[in-house]
Amino acid sequence: MNGDDGNDSMRDQVSGTSTDQASDSTTDQASDSTMDRVRDNVDRNGPERFEDVDWDAIDAEGRRLTKTRLAAFVACGLYVLTLAYDVLVAGDDATFEISVGLPWSTTESAYVWDVTAVDWLFVASLLVVGFALVPVARNRRLRAYYWRRFRRHRPAVISAWYLLCIFLLGTVGTLFIEPPSLDVAAAYQPPVFLSVEASIPTECVGPVVDGRCRGTWEYPLGTTGEGKGLAALAVFGMRVSMQVGLIATLISVAIATLVGTTAAYAGGWIDEALMRYVDIQQTFPTFFLFLFLAYLYGGSLFVLIVIFGVTGWGGIARIVRSEAIQRRQEQYIAAARASGASTLSVVRRHVVPNVSNSIVTAATLNVPFLVLSEAALSFIGLGDVTLPSWGQTIATGRGDLGTAWWISTVPGLFLFATILAFNFLGDALRDALDPRQEV
Amino acid sequence: MGLKWYTARRVAWAGVVAGVILTVTFVLLELAPDSQLASVQFQAAARGGSADAAAEAYARRRGLDGPLWERYVDYLANLATGDWGWSDTRSQPVGEAILTALPYSLMYTVPAVIASTALGISIGLYSAFNQYTKTDYAATFVAFFGISVPNFWFGILLLLVFAVHLGWVPVLFDAELARTHTFSLANARQLALPVFVLGTSAVAGTMRYTRAEALEYVRATFVKAARAKGVSERRILTRHVLRPTLVPLSTILVGDLLGVVLSASYLVEVVFGIPGLGRLSLEAIRRQDTALVLGTTLVPVFVAVVGNLLQDLAYAVLDPRIDYGDR
Repeated sequence: MNGDDGNDSMRDQVSGTSTDQASDSTTDQASDSTMDRVRDNVDRNGPERFEDVDWDAIDAEGRRLTKTRLAAFVACGLYVLTLAYDVLVAGDDATFEISVGLPWSTTESAYVWDVTAVDWLFVASLLVVGFALVPVARNRRLRAYYWRRFRRHRPAVISAWYLLCIFLLGTVGTLFIEPPSLDVAAAYQPPVFLSVEASIPTECVGPVVDGRCRGTWEYPLGTTGEGKGLAALAVFGMRVSMQVGLIATLISVAIATLVGTTAAYAGGWIDEALMRYVDIQQTFPTFFLFLFLAYLYGGSLFVLIVIFGVTGWGGIARIVRSEAIQRRQEQYIAAARASGASTLSVVRRHVVPNVSNSIVTAATLNVPFLVLSEAALSFIGLGDVTLPSWGQTIATGRGDLGTAWWISTVPGLFLFATILAFNFLGDALRDALDPRQEV
Repeated sequence: MGLKWYTARRVAWAGVVAGVILTVTFVLLELAPDSQLASVQFQAAARGGSADAAAEAYARRRGLDGPLWERYVDYLANLATGDWGWSDTRSQPVGEAILTALPYSLMYTVPAVIASTALGISIGLYSAFNQYTKTDYAATFVAFFGISVPNFWFGILLLLVFAVHLGWVPVLFDAELARTHTFSLANARQLALPVFVLGTSAVAGTMRYTRAEALEYVRATFVKAARAKGVSERRILTRHVLRPTLVPLSTILVGDLLGVVLSASYLVEVVFGIPGLGRLSLEAIRRQDTALVLGTTLVPVFVAVVGNLLQDLAYAVLDPRIDYGDR
């Protein structure tokens, strides 16, 4: 442990200056110009001193409307407006209904999207995550530094690409793919390149060679007993998994950050009460808590996501608290306090950004757990029966193991790969963002 | 403050936790819409009777007509005295239903836990001593596999290969055989896959924790000193590394392993058709038997509460550096 202490303080100094400024979108422009001024001062008057910094100028720049901030405001406004439109005007009708002539289809297809509550939450989560990433994306040095550390983990890089594909397919792809529909004539089709005895499918869509039905490109991954294409089911399952993982984790992270920093800063009986509560919540085995709540309150996807988000934040809160207590002792916090920053602004601008690396790691490792929990709950029939979740598709194929093995195995492969990828990613992120922890 | 005082406080805290959890479950049950009540009302209305009268009769029958406070006290008292309610669907007390199911669950969880703990510790130690070798990477990959693979899907896959295609093990679990010939070869054969599936998910955590903990001691100065004195590698492994590693590991074994095993066994039972606690709970969920759902949920919760208590006590007893003062 002694050997690590030197590294610790080194790293903290680095993060104290870099992550701190970079993570706060409103200050990064200001800090760039501060750097320029510092350089000017160094050129002119020798070493820059604390008193030389023109704090009034920095304050003025901090309040200025930056591009990022403007974009955030616009996005927020648009979001609220469309949400109001959906709730007040559209009501039960579809929110969007656009007729478009697609070049590859002869008939004009209408594009209809009735935005559900989960979709709204999902869009909000994507906005939040997107704007949280802006500072890192704009700081080239930081970006290069993290990428260099991250790149060393080859499985994690592959995982990141895989997850990006899954994410794009699940969000953008589902808009262009027909949802899987019932078609008894196309039941039990084998995947392409594979064949199965001709007696198993009701009607073979592809060619029958030597008494064996061959798979076709129409259903590249085969079909279920209801004739739903497994490829389409898999893609729509991606959306469900991504929605569950991202939204619920974001809710958890928000609550955990609030509770963790409050406990660390308030101390005393508030800290004691909050952490004791976390103790109790953590004692309840998570899976059974989900199970019990899903049983009592019904397993619509929205309810499921809320249950996951509201009850699954204990572990992250503990991490945030212990990190925040450590950060509290740092000198840059003392400096911020000495220059008159309020507790709230110290927490928001100095503590949270510097704890964010641990939060990101913990959140990344929380996602696969939630994806798996959702799949498990839909597998046993407690999830949303109307949604093509991977777990549910696996469950439907259980009765046909002897004849149509692909129904249960194909969605399971996607599920397994997604969870594995998130675990690899989380492990690599821990290495890249959080060099102190070594597992 | 001595160990006795610490133990007393810990036990008291476990009691508080149990009380809070029971209260929360009571509130949740109160707030949840009662599907049985709805169906009773619907039936009465369909027969042309009064839905309200039916609801009242239903409430009286279930003892739901008293004031909230009275019901709460009753609920706690019943649970404390072992009267866990009546299962409508099985027509037997909940406690009895759980006791009938429990042996089937233990039949494969106990071997799986023992095997995965022994294997996990040995592989983890091996990895720590051979860090960054090919074997270490292979072990890490196995750990990732075990953590990531959805065990219900893995079970289905194994059933497909070993039961449906190869025919080495039976597809359907024979509960009668398991009850009458528990320690027979035939029973071992049908339990092999469940034990393996549960073992893979449990071994991963143990392996990774052991490796991480042991790594701390592999580089420790006292190990270097021992090696310099000429202590054999075997003795270093067992006396100088394994012993300190076991202390934090014992707590992880109780806490985390318990969580993994409890939730994994639920799904494993569903996949393999073992009539244990998980299957019992699932049947109760499907048939809306709330008393049985509550009972089968509370069993793992209490196991977890007791497990946490034992973990704290074990830590204090095993590690002399722990100060009892604070908590």
